[in-house]
Amino acid sequence: MTEHLPALVFLVPLATAICMPVAGHGRKSICKPLALLAVAAMTVLSVASLWAIVSHGEVRYSFSGWEPPIGIEWLADPLAAIMLVGVSALGVLCLLYGAAIDDRTHDKHPIPYYTIVLLLIAGLTGAVYAGDLFNIFVFLEVVSLSAYALVAVPGGRALVSAFRYLLMGTLGTAFYLLGVGYFYAATGALNIADLAQQVPALLGSKAVMGGLIFMFIGLAIKMALMPLHGWLPDAYSDGPAAAVPLLAGLVTKVALLLWVRILFWVIGAGEAQQASGIFTLVSSLGILASVGAACIALRQQDLKRMFAYGGISHVGLVLIGLGQANQTGLTGAVYYLLNDAVMQCALFMLAGFIAQRYGVRSLDDAGRASIRNPLVIGTFVVVALGMVGLPPTGGFFGKLRILLGTIEAGNYLAAGAVVVTTLVTLGYFAQVLERLVRREGDAVPEPDSGHTPWALHASMVALAAAMLGLGIWNDPIVKALIDATGGLAI
Amino acid sequence: MIGAPLDSLIVRRTGSLLVPLVQIFALYVLFFGQYGPGGGFVAGVMISASLILGLLVFGGNGLSAKRAKSLLLGDGVGLLLFVAVGGLCLIGGGQFLNYSEAPIPGLQDASRRYAGILLTQIGVALDVAVAAVSIVFSLSRSTEGGTSDA
Repeated sequence: MTEHLPALVFLVPLATAICMPVAGHGRKSICKPLALLAVAAMTVLSVASLWAIVSHGEVRYSFSGWEPPIGIEWLADPLAAIMLVGVSALGVLCLLYGAAIDDRTHDKHPIPYYTIVLLLIAGLTGAVYAGDLFNIFVFLEVVSLSAYALVAVPGGRALVSAFRYLLMGTLGTAFYLLGVGYFYAATGALNIADLAQQVPALLGSKAVMGGLIFMFIGLAIKMALMPLHGWLPDAYSDGPAAAVPLLAGLVTKVALLLWVRILFWVIGAGEAQQASGIFTLVSSLGILASVGAACIALRQQDLKRMFAYGGISHVGLVLIGLGQANQTGLTGAVYYLLNDAVMQCALFMLAGFIAQRYGVRSLDDAGRASIRNPLVIGTFVVVALGMVGLPPTGGFFGKLRILLGTIEAGNYLAAGAVVVTTLVTLGYFAQVLERLVRREGDAVPEPDSGHTPWALHASMVALAAAMLGLGIWNDPIVKALIDATGGLAI
Repeated sequence: MIGAPLDSLIVRRTGSLLVPLVQIFALYVLFFGQYGPGGGFVAGVMISASLILGLLVFGGNGLSAKRAKSLLLGDGVGLLLFVAVGGLCLIGGGQFLNYSEAPIPGLQDASRRYAGILLTQIGVALDVAVAAVSIVFSLSRSTEGGTSDA
């Protein structure tokens, strides 16, 4: 039975999304619990799947019983399984948060809203599991289309941001598909395992290098790599408070994971691959993105935009780790990616909550308002520690491994960039913290009288606990990641 | 776009002739799809074309319009059929959509595949038809908000 788990993990949110219009037709109130139940079931299944994969080895699942070159294959290795536990658990927390936050925009039309959210989660699952480049494209499209629709939910300004996101995102998927076409023309294969045998010998070919660059540009738009990040800050600051944590935590991170998949599982990281310059390119763009976006974040007044630029700068950090083409950098990058998904999720939950409850949208608002909610402040402190990269949060251990990877590769420029990014990140989080904690004048602030639903507190505390937990148990997680990447020629 | 019925006798007569004809041909394409060109997608497009033709000719209150709206209630039923067949194969012990493992009693291997493919194709046809008709409805929402939530 365990060999069917990867298919079930994907099918549960998909089937629920399909059932939603029929089930919610009579009683609209059923949508919320149904979606939550589906993602919770998916979490259980993905944990079971992770356990099965770690104890019995990776699963290659052929749909319809057709073997890979003809059929569709799920590549359920430890990397995918670990990522999916993250995706589904964050999905549950985001749905809990989204259901509890007082955001009227999606309450009017629960059927399409929850259908789209579940499709987004199903698409993310498919993109992580997909064993060939074309299906990655298909699921990337499912994810993107759902994400455009979710950003547009509040209407007004969000429509413009969503349209911009749509234009950029469509360009991104088009570039990616073009790259896949080049690969197919050069090798006649789309399956990752097939390509991994053929592509390394063909690195001198212009078609393969061109295809690789096209795929990188496409995914770079999706992951909001620094020069191509234009859509992200607007989309995340105008999008609905209930859905933005989900988008911020998962959509860009899965695009990043797909790039890890292509770079290390298809191209590989041997001598010839490093001589081709692709890793230098990735590392250089990572340096540019991490330092550049952190500096832009320092100048932001709007909290959501600041956090969005923080996320963009962390994409750069992950790319620095990947670009070193060694085991330490790679595992550090993937581990940091997991942490970053949790941190981004938590940051946008906090930003959404304080904007809605206290009307705090910018730094100045934060200075004026008096937020006397220990759980919110506590979560914020934990996230800030993680974003800056201080122990005992997971952010520290990820950043440390990335730094060790750069030193191992002798790339001191990249090492410097990691340190500078850390300092600048400390700069903008110190600004926010100082304003949240400082009391203006002698006025004693009124106690927080409003009622906060338990689900809001629960989701935020769970995320803070996850950040600490990832840090405290970083050793087994990193070991699992080392095992996951052990078969690669690095 | 979907307004009152058209006045022209020729258009209405031709429409009433064409709509059932197209639907029968759509069914033929659906069942023939396993042996030759055709299949669920084409059949779905044809069914939706016949319904849209009916909508244009007989207006938003004709019999066709009612049928099209009742079709919209089944939004997602087609995909559900697809997933149900796939899930049946899972229960039978095969991979998702591995028709030969579907636990349908009294059928040979080949007949199981036949039944499985036919059912999924019906699902595809339904879904394509629903999608096309719902596009027409949402384009003409100014006349009537038929599909506010689907």
